[in-house]
Amino acid sequence: MANTERRVLLSSSPHFYAPTTARRLMANVLMALAPAAAYGVVLFGLPALFTIATSVAVAVVSEAAFRKAVGEKPRFDDLSAIVTGLLLAMVIPPSTPLWMTALGSMFAIVVAKEFFGGLGANVFNPALIGRAFLLMSFPAALTTWHKPFGALVDATTTATPLNVVKLGGTIADVGKGLADSGLAASAGYGDMLKALVLGNRAGCIGESSILLILAGALFLLVTKTIDWRAPLAMITATFLASLALGMDPVFGIFSGGVMFGAVFMITDYVSAPVTPIGKLIFGACAGLITVMIRKFGGYPEGVTYAILIMNAIAPFLNKIVEKKYGFVAPKKEASK
Amino acid sequence: METKTFKGGIHPPERKEATEGKAIERISTPKQVVVPVNQHFGAPNQSLVKVGDVVKRGQKIADAEGKMTVPVHAPVAGTVKKIEPRTQSNNIDGPCIIIETAASDETDFMSPLDAFSCTKEEAIARIRDAGIVGMGGAGFPVYVKLAPPPNKPINVVIANGAECEPYLTIDEMTMLEDGAKVVEGLAIIMRTVGVKKGIFAIEENKKHAAESIEKVIPSAAHGLDISVVLLKTKYPQGGEKMLITAVTGKEVPSGGLPMDVGCIVQNIGSLKAIAEAFTEGKPLIDRGLTITGGACKTPKNVIVPIGTVIGEIPSEFLDIDRDALRKILFGGPMMGTAVPSLDIPVQKNTSGVTMMNAAEADATEEGPCIRCGRCMRNCSCRLSPVLMNNAIDTGDLEGAAKIGLLDCIECGSCSYVCPARIQLVQRFRVGKQLLRNKRAAASPAPAKA
Repeated sequence: MANTERRVLLSSSPHFYAPTTARRLMANVLMALAPAAAYGVVLFGLPALFTIATSVAVAVVSEAAFRKAVGEKPRFDDLSAIVTGLLLAMVIPPSTPLWMTALGSMFAIVVAKEFFGGLGANVFNPALIGRAFLLMSFPAALTTWHKPFGALVDATTTATPLNVVKLGGTIADVGKGLADSGLAASAGYGDMLKALVLGNRAGCIGESSILLILAGALFLLVTKTIDWRAPLAMITATFLASLALGMDPVFGIFSGGVMFGAVFMITDYVSAPVTPIGKLIFGACAGLITVMIRKFGGYPEGVTYAILIMNAIAPFLNKIVEKKYGFVAPKKEASK
Repeated sequence: METKTFKGGIHPPERKEATEGKAIERISTPKQVVVPVNQHFGAPNQSLVKVGDVVKRGQKIADAEGKMTVPVHAPVAGTVKKIEPRTQSNNIDGPCIIIETAASDETDFMSPLDAFSCTKEEAIARIRDAGIVGMGGAGFPVYVKLAPPPNKPINVVIANGAECEPYLTIDEMTMLEDGAKVVEGLAIIMRTVGVKKGIFAIEENKKHAAESIEKVIPSAAHGLDISVVLLKTKYPQGGEKMLITAVTGKEVPSGGLPMDVGCIVQNIGSLKAIAEAFTEGKPLIDRGLTITGGACKTPKNVIVPIGTVIGEIPSEFLDIDRDALRKILFGGPMMGTAVPSLDIPVQKNTSGVTMMNAAEADATEEGPCIRCGRCMRNCSCRLSPVLMNNAIDTGDLEGAAKIGLLDCIECGSCSYVCPARIQLVQRFRVGKQLLRNKRAAASPAPAKA
């Protein structure tokens, strides 16, 4: 009897759990990112591959080193550093010098995540903080774009579709540019959209192929890894805001980082609100701010800062909770 | 029949195959029983016997004055050997009367009472005298539940045939084998309280039990309006609040009771005990329960005398793989209590004992909360577990109460789905106690009995 007693566990109810673990969720995100990442390497060649590898490796090493330095247990099994590293790599240009990538990755993990308390405690999306840091520190490198399919042969710098629009061009100019580079079949609107959706245009490594991003989104929704509210709200808000401000709404949602941000950035659990209504407002405002920055701000793309601004507001959105079971409106006079 | 339900809920694996459909067996009388003096929710009892007394089966051995008290009776005939504190199934030590079983089996029940011709006061008194408490877990004195104040009219009595807790099948088997008694118990409640409608709420996965009850209603319902409602199978469908919402569409107000929405809910075991108290004069001295789990070699549904120590159940009824045994639960895996040994006695609210092996008993360490929000999406009461947890951590207990800490029914859905394996229910239990202490210290009310 004594033997049995020593081996018996004591804990509070419940005594078993659903099979989904934090690690499984992170693994799902990695699987959803993989196709878009792979296509990014196809588009931009070895530089893209090295960028991804550097970012991921530095993220993992920085997390382990920092945690060792401050005396915390190293955390390898939850894959979250790998996710941060990959996300950062996918939102910077493929031609970013590797040392800058490494610096950005280290900043994302150490400053944006570990300084705030590590997994579960960061206020801001670490990958986006990394990108913002790089953009501020090395603006030239972070706005140098290369033609896809040209990396090994002839690294020609070029403008992204959003750049073209920002510098005063029209959608037609975008179409012409893509056709001239051989990325679109013609300068027509339809072919231009096709090029955007397939991802055959200059840009960050991961934000290019809308198709693969949507495939990833489907996977994440089916596996119940992400909640549909924030992504749908963000895309809808971007669409409507673009329309309201006289910009092409379809172009608006297919260009730049809107799709990628809506599926992979705004759905980051830690930096987003937990309440369902909070998530809706979070996504909608991020979409709105994105378009405002595009139209009125100095940057061609607004997703990064839109999401970071909403990260700051997320704690307040957490105050909007659903009415609990048996909710009784508080009376003026405390009768009980 | 269409199925009713409440919005939300989770679907943990049912794991009822081991004991589903197994006829209830009565175990051979144990050599001793350890009868807890207090097995009810309310004020404490005093022992009415001393060491050395000879008692008859059914004799009252503990009682007290006061509204929220329920007597306890001797489950076996024998001699009182000791009266001392022992660990009960809630892991708290309580006074227990230990009786060594005699061969005589002399019985001393009350005389039978016709529930449909006696006065309501006599019926209520009989239910109290039989020592009947809510046998589904809380142990609430049934006779108090059946005497609601006049400003709370009751429109329906609901028999809780949901049995949503995984592993447990005793209610299902009781409905199949003792359907007439269970229906009669419901009829007795309806007559005593003066309620026109009675409903058996049964989960879809027990359709055969529903059909069996329907067959027996015409003969056992004493002409009262009792019908069966099928519920979708999900957890925690059997939680009182969720059950009421599924059957009536109303929600019990926060801080209120089922009577506030005109309902009385009763456990299947309690209904059987009520019927027996009138037809046989029998007090609550034994009960059915399911013994199961991966480390149990003999999964069964059994009837045991109250006070039977788990480890002393004869091995032909309970054979445990001691090497595989990792966790002992009184109850099921969602809301059961883990106990440190097999030396714990069965009491009135024990509906099952689950012997978990290592594969079933997850001992993963807590990780940090990743704010995924699954707990919020799956809370049966639409509370905000992650926010409540944060509030408790920072000491903001009143803030936690505002978002629902005291409304938590501790069903375990949030912890079950948490990918970080955070012990949310444990934290809420602690938080609730801290809040109660804090409020009591802030405004000392006259001490309640």
